[in-house]
Amino acid sequence: MIEIKDLYKSFGDLQVLKGISVKVKESEVVCVIGPSGSGKSTFLRCINLLEKPTSGDIWIDGEKITDTHVNINKIREEAGMVFQHFNLFPHKTVLENVSLAPIKVRKLSKEEGEKKALELLRKVGLEDKAHVYPAALSGGQKQRVAIARALAMHPKVMLFDEPTSALDPEMVGEVLNVMNNLAKMGMTMIVVTHEMGFAREVSHRVLFMDDGMIVEEGKPHDIFVHPKNDRTIAFLSKVL
Amino acid sequence: MSLLNTYINHIIQVFPDLLLGSMVTIEVTSLGVFFGLIIGTISGLGKLSQKKFYRYPSIVYVDFIRGTPLLVQILLFYYGIPGLFSNVTGKPLSFDPIFAGVIVCSINSGAYIAEIVRAGVQSIDKGQMEAARSLGMTERMAMKEIILPQAFRRIIPPLGNEFIALLKDSSLLAVIGVHELLKNGQLYISRTFASFPVYIAVAMMYLIMTIAISRLVAYSERRLGVSDRN
Repeated sequence: MIEIKDLYKSFGDLQVLKGISVKVKESEVVCVIGPSGSGKSTFLRCINLLEKPTSGDIWIDGEKITDTHVNINKIREEAGMVFQHFNLFPHKTVLENVSLAPIKVRKLSKEEGEKKALELLRKVGLEDKAHVYPAALSGGQKQRVAIARALAMHPKVMLFDEPTSALDPEMVGEVLNVMNNLAKMGMTMIVVTHEMGFAREVSHRVLFMDDGMIVEEGKPHDIFVHPKNDRTIAFLSKVL
Repeated sequence: MSLLNTYINHIIQVFPDLLLGSMVTIEVTSLGVFFGLIIGTISGLGKLSQKKFYRYPSIVYVDFIRGTPLLVQILLFYYGIPGLFSNVTGKPLSFDPIFAGVIVCSINSGAYIAEIVRAGVQSIDKGQMEAARSLGMTERMAMKEIILPQAFRRIIPPLGNEFIALLKDSSLLAVIGVHELLKNGQLYISRTFASFPVYIAVAMMYLIMTIAISRLVAYSERRLGVSDRN
């Protein structure tokens, strides 16, 4: 489904990603954990080309997206992204936030787009908030809208960039719940997270990143109960 | 006492002329800011463009206009351009003063508005552009649907200031014979030599207009600001 090979990324002199290779199968949920500054977010942002890789190749569904001639906008339609700070459009209602891209990019009619948006809002439990502005929502609600917004484009893969890090503790559960349902429905997901509980319970595979490299990877049970690498052990002893 | 009466008399006499002049002032300023907003949006976005083809002309335009006095720009356009035209073609050319005034004011305010638009666009959190792009929108689409609508709300106060500044500066158009507020006052003075009461009246008229506009801006700012919190 997704294949990443020898991914390098530098910002000026700072090398953030130092040769990442990983494959993600269809319907697989992969969690990326690691200390801050280890390159987790940059790695995720390379997958939908919000950051341009310095070198290396990425395939999504057999298409090599790092080719210079591919249409970046088309790629991004296929990879939904959920941000730490939600990034909802504050001047648009919840319904407009969700229906905008399907209407403008996928060229659905306004009725179709809004009907689909309402369906998705129902799935994340926010149908009753369709006509309010994001400012009137709690953090957890905003993030659920952001997930619905990304899903509205029918992406092949969903990328989550620390989706619960900016939330008050009591709102983390509702967002993880939505993500859990999504995983059960067979969505391919790559999740950068500090929620070790989620990584352990929901994901199929955990990648531990440090210093721009994947230091250790394996089934959640193996990583959390029998970590092999010293850096993994040190990190987990701090966060668990 | 009689002096005060004379002054009041002059003010009453000149008032209809000043009112007409104010209309011209508002007309020229409004058109100037309207076209300036169009020019300014294009060149403001041009300054932010990755492409030199858009960026360099925008930079040269903004620097030239902001670095030269409006009075010089007015004279250059009204006298200089027709002079060049007739030197090159041998035919005469003259502009209607109001037409020239609107053009110069548009070009002038466009440069200032370009900087306002640029700052407004840059003030929008870059996560907004990323979110739009991650949904598959093109940069142009994201700019139109997401960034500019938010930026325009934010730049209403500085746009109001620009409107006020241009309203006052439009008095310079008196030198090319636009019958705006100041010119109409001066014409009356040249007939009656009543400079003190008329200039005071002219100043008051400008003051009333600028205060009215700043109140209007504050009001629209409050109304539009309602949903602008993330």
